[in-house]
Amino acid sequence: MTTEDLKGYRGAAKELLLRENARVWGDVTIATNQGEFKGLILPRSETADDQHIVLKLSTGYNVGLHVSTINKIEEIGYRKAHYKIPEKIFPPDPEKRNVTLLGTGGTIASRLDYRTGAVIPAFSPGELYGAVPELVDICNLKTYKLYGEFSENIGPAHWMGMAQRIAEEITAGADGIVIGHGTDTMHHSAAALTFMVQNTPVPVIIVGSQRSSDRPSSDAALNLINACYAAAYGEIAEVLVCMFGPTSDQYDLLHRGTRVRKMHSSYRSTFRTIGERPMARIAKEEYIPMRTPYRKRGGDASQMKIMPVFDERVSIVYYYPNMKPDIIDSLVDNGYKGIIIAGTGLGHVNKPLYPSLKKAYEAGVHIYMTVQTLWGYVQMFVYDTGRDIMDLGVVPLDNMLPEVAYVKLGWTLGQTQDRDEVKKIMTTPIADEITAREPIDGYLVMQGGLPEVDYYFKSYKR
Amino acid sequence: MNNNFDPAAHKMKSGLEVHHQILTEGKLFCRCPAGLYTNKHDAEILRHMRPTLSELGEYDGTALMEFKTKKEIIYLLDYDTVCTYEMDDTPPFPINQEAVDIAIEIALMLNCKIVSEIHIARKQYLDGSIPAGFQRTTIIGVDGWVPYKDRKIHIVQLALEEDACREISDIGHVVTFKTDRLSMPLIEVVTAPEMVTPNEVAEVGRIIGRLLRSTGKVRRGLGSVRQDVNVSIEGGTRVEIKGVPRIPLFPALVYNEAYRQHNLLKIKDFLTTTIGSIEDLKADEFDLQAIASKVSHRLIKKSIEKRDAKLRGVVFRNLKGLLRMTTQPGLTFAHELSERVRVIACLDQLPNLLHTEDVSVAGLEPKDQQLLAKAMNLNKNDTAIIAWGSEQDVKTAIQEIILRVQEAFGGVPNETRQAKSNGLTDFERILPGADRMYPDTDSPPTAITLERIEKIRAQLSRPPWELEKKYTELGIAKHQAEILALHPQRAVVEAVLAKNAIDPKLVVWTMIDLGKHLQRQEFPIQLLEASHWEKVFALIAEKKIYREGLDLLLTFVAAHPEEDPEDYLAAQNITPLLGDNLQKKIEKIAAPNRNLKLFDDSNWPKVLMGIVMGEIRGRAAGRDIWDIVKNQTR
Repeated sequence: MTTEDLKGYRGAAKELLLRENARVWGDVTIATNQGEFKGLILPRSETADDQHIVLKLSTGYNVGLHVSTINKIEEIGYRKAHYKIPEKIFPPDPEKRNVTLLGTGGTIASRLDYRTGAVIPAFSPGELYGAVPELVDICNLKTYKLYGEFSENIGPAHWMGMAQRIAEEITAGADGIVIGHGTDTMHHSAAALTFMVQNTPVPVIIVGSQRSSDRPSSDAALNLINACYAAAYGEIAEVLVCMFGPTSDQYDLLHRGTRVRKMHSSYRSTFRTIGERPMARIAKEEYIPMRTPYRKRGGDASQMKIMPVFDERVSIVYYYPNMKPDIIDSLVDNGYKGIIIAGTGLGHVNKPLYPSLKKAYEAGVHIYMTVQTLWGYVQMFVYDTGRDIMDLGVVPLDNMLPEVAYVKLGWTLGQTQDRDEVKKIMTTPIADEITAREPIDGYLVMQGGLPEVDYYFKSYKR
Repeated sequence: MNNNFDPAAHKMKSGLEVHHQILTEGKLFCRCPAGLYTNKHDAEILRHMRPTLSELGEYDGTALMEFKTKKEIIYLLDYDTVCTYEMDDTPPFPINQEAVDIAIEIALMLNCKIVSEIHIARKQYLDGSIPAGFQRTTIIGVDGWVPYKDRKIHIVQLALEEDACREISDIGHVVTFKTDRLSMPLIEVVTAPEMVTPNEVAEVGRIIGRLLRSTGKVRRGLGSVRQDVNVSIEGGTRVEIKGVPRIPLFPALVYNEAYRQHNLLKIKDFLTTTIGSIEDLKADEFDLQAIASKVSHRLIKKSIEKRDAKLRGVVFRNLKGLLRMTTQPGLTFAHELSERVRVIACLDQLPNLLHTEDVSVAGLEPKDQQLLAKAMNLNKNDTAIIAWGSEQDVKTAIQEIILRVQEAFGGVPNETRQAKSNGLTDFERILPGADRMYPDTDSPPTAITLERIEKIRAQLSRPPWELEKKYTELGIAKHQAEILALHPQRAVVEAVLAKNAIDPKLVVWTMIDLGKHLQRQEFPIQLLEASHWEKVFALIAEKKIYREGLDLLLTFVAAHPEEDPEDYLAAQNITPLLGDNLQKKIEKIAAPNRNLKLFDDSNWPKVLMGIVMGEIRGRAAGRDIWDIVKNQTR
C-alpha cells in the first residue's frame, strides 16, 4: 500500500483502509451496520476529518461513510481517474500573429485537488487550449508554465521573473503576451509589470477568471479568447488587465495596469478602472478603444526598458480611528524603508501618530499618503491636519491607488534610496498611476432602487 | 393505439424519479425566501454554457450536445426572490439545515439508509436551466423501499437538491428563464426499475406522493411536483421522460414509450436486413443552393425569400421506407429526425424538414420531388431528406439527421424525452450519465450524526397506508381515512379519539368535511393550529356546543384565531340547553308561531324546526330538538 493508495486519509479512516486492505480508486462493496454500499473509494480532503471514507456511487454522487459503521470492505475492482484534458500543440499558421501565453496559476488554470477538495492551479496552458479550441482561430500560441501559484502567493520575485520572461519573448518576436493569473492580486501584478516593463512594443495582457474553468458557466474561455485577441491584434501596447465588463457573457474590458482594482470578492465583473475610463472594450473580435492617448503597437523593441527590481521593505498602513503610534514604530524598528498610508478622507491620520511619523522620517523611511476612499485625490491643504502631516515629511500621492503606491514604492526603492530621487520617481506618473484630472464619469458607483438605475438594469444585460 | 402491443410481454421495466419541493422558509444555498413566485423582473443577464470535464476526466454526452446548440441564455432577475448566489456571482452559503432535516425525515420514511457524511455534488445542466451550469445536489439516503401489492419497490436513493429556473421561451438560439424558483430546496426520490406495467407506474407514483405529503413538509400546488419516468423494454435502452406534472398521464406515456422502443427495434432490424451494418450506411450530403430558387414548396420559398435560408439535403441509399416506419402511435421515424433537428440545430419552425416519402398534401409536390431526385441523383430505392435555414444551422441539421440514422442501427438511443399532454413524447436531449457529476469544491463535506438521525426517527409518523387502516378500524369511512392520513392536524384527531369522548365520525366530519366546506367559502381553516382544534373538540366533548353550531364556531375561530371561542359562545348566548330548559325554550319559541298560515298543516313540525334552529342552533343536539319539536301541536 503506497501513500497514493491512501491519499488524504489519516487516523481512524487510514487504519480502517489498511486493516481492510482497501485503497483509493478501489471499486468496493462496503458492509455497514446501515446496510451495503457499493462504489469507488475516493481520495479524502486533507482538511476534512479522519472519521469518514468517501465513496463515489455508480450514479456519480459522492457520500461519506463513518468508520464506526463499517464492518467490512471488499475490493472487486480498481479504476483510477485520469483527470486530464488532452494537451494540444497548436497547429501553426504563418498567416496568424504569434502570442506567448505565460501561466502563473489561478482560476483560469485550475482543477480539482483531491487532497484539499478545493481547486488548484494545475492546467498547463496547453491543456487550457484543449479546453478552448477557439483559440486556434485567433493566433499562433506558444505556452509556458512560469509558476503554479494561487495569486495570493504571487509576490515581487514572481513579478521580476515575469518581467524578464516577457522581455525575452518580445525580443524573440512575440506579437503579444498573455499572462494567466489568479484574480486576487492581479491588479498588484498589473501595476508591477507596468513599472518593470516600460515602452513595450506589443500588448501585455493579464487575464484570469472569477468562475473556474471547470464550470460550464465559467468566464475563463471568453476572457482567454478576448485576451489572446487583444494581445495579437489590439493596438494598445501596454500592460492591461482583460476581464469581464458586465457579469453577462458579453464583452471584456481592458484596464490600464495602474488604475485597475478588484472590487468584489466573487462577481465576474469585479475589475474596475478607478477614477478613469477603461482603455477599451473587446467582444467577438471587435476591439473598441475607449480613451486616448495610449501607447501604440509597433514601437521600437530596443526602446523597451526592463527594470526588474524591488525592495521588499515596504508596507501599507490602512489607517483607522484611534490607531496607536506603535504601529508605525514597529515598522521602523523592523527595518522597513517605505510606508504607504491609506488615510481617511483627503489623506489624514490622527495626531498621536505625528511623533512616530516624524521619527520614521528622521530614520530615513519614505512615507507617502494615499486615500482609502480609492476614488478622489489626496488634498492635504484643505485642513490644518493635512498641512501638519506634510510638515512631518509625508508626501501626498494624488489619486494613486494604495496598492499601486505600495508596488511603485517597492520598485522605486529597488532603484535608489535617495530621498529626492525617490520622491521624483514616485510623483512622476509612468502610466496614469497619477492622473492629472478625474473625468466626469470617473466615479461611478450606482445605487439600486433609483428610477434611472432601475431603467438601466431592465434595459441592458450587464 | 395499437391494441395488440403488450408492454409486459416485452419485459418492460419502468422506474420513477419524483421531484418534490419541500416546505422551508429559505432557499437551499442562500438566504433568499423560498416559495415566492413573481411575474416581474428588475434586471436580466446573459450567459453561455460550455462543456467541462467530469471528475473522472470524461466529457458528458449531453454536455457536448448542448454545446452544439450554441444558445444564448437569458435570465430574468427579480429583486425580491434572487440574490447574487442564484446569478452564480457569489459562492454558496452553508446548506440549509432545515432542508437537510426534512430530507432525512423523508429518507427514513422511505426506509433508506442515511449516509454519515453528505457531499455536495454539481450535476451539470448545459440547457441553461441553472445559471451556474450545474445543480448543487447531495445524497441523503440510499437503498430504501416502499410496500406495493405483495412486494417491495426499492428506492435507489434520496437526494436533496436545488430547483432549476422556469423556462419562459426557447426560440431559435435564444432561451429565456425566470429565476424565482431557482435554488428552492427539493427532494428527488429515485425508484428501482421494478414496475412492469404502465398502471403499476401510476400506482407507485401515487404511493410515493401520498407518503411525501403525509409528512406535511412538502410544498403543494402547481409546479411543486415533477416526475421523471424511466422506461425500457427487452433489447431497448433506458429512456427518461422528463417533467411529467400529473400521475394520470403516466400509463399512456409509459405504454407509448414501450411501443416506441419496440418499433425502434423493428427499425433496427429493417436497417440490418436491408443494408447490413452501420459501415454499410451510405449517406450522401448535398448543398442544394443551386436549385433552391426553383423549389416550389411554399415554406421553403418563403424562408429563402424572406430570411435568405440555405437549402441542404441528404440521401440515404437503399433505405426507402425507413422514414415511414411507425415509432409512436401516429408518428413515423421522420418525426425522430425532425425532433433532433428542432432541438440541436435550433430549427424550431415546423415542419423543419421534408422528405421524399411524405406523400401527404403537406409534403413535397411531384415537381419538387423530381427536381430533388435529379439534384441528388436519387435512385428508386433511396430516401432523401431536405432541410433549410441559416447556413450553420442547416449544416448542423443534416449532420444530426445522419447521426440519428446511425444511432438507429443500435436500436433505442439514450434519450431524455419531453412528455406531451396527448401521451406522446418529443426528444429533449441525450440522456446524461454519471459523467456529469462533479464534486462541489465550494462546499465542505458535512457529517450527519447518529444522534441527529435517531432524533428525527423518534418523531417519525407512520406511513399513510398504516394510518388509513387504523382509522377505518375506528369506524371512519375509507375516503375520509385517506384524507385524514395526510391531514397536517391528524395528531389532534388521534388524541381526541384516544379519549373516546366524541363519536369518531363527528370528529372527522368536523375537521375534514366541515373544514373543507368552510375553506371553500374562503375561511382560512387550513391555518388553524393544533391548539385551535383541541379547543374546538374540548367544547364538543364538554357538550358546550353541538354539531349544528360548529360552522358558527369554526368560522369564528378562523376569523379570530387569537380569541377564546368560549367567550364568543357566551357573548352570542350560545349556551347549552339541557332537559327542561330545552323543552321550555322550544315551547316559548313555538308559542307566537302556532297561528302561522301554512298551505299544508302537515309541514308544521318542519317549519317550526327551522324557526327553532334559527334561534338555538348549536345549543343542543339536533336530534333532541327534533324530538321535542315534532310533538308540538298547532
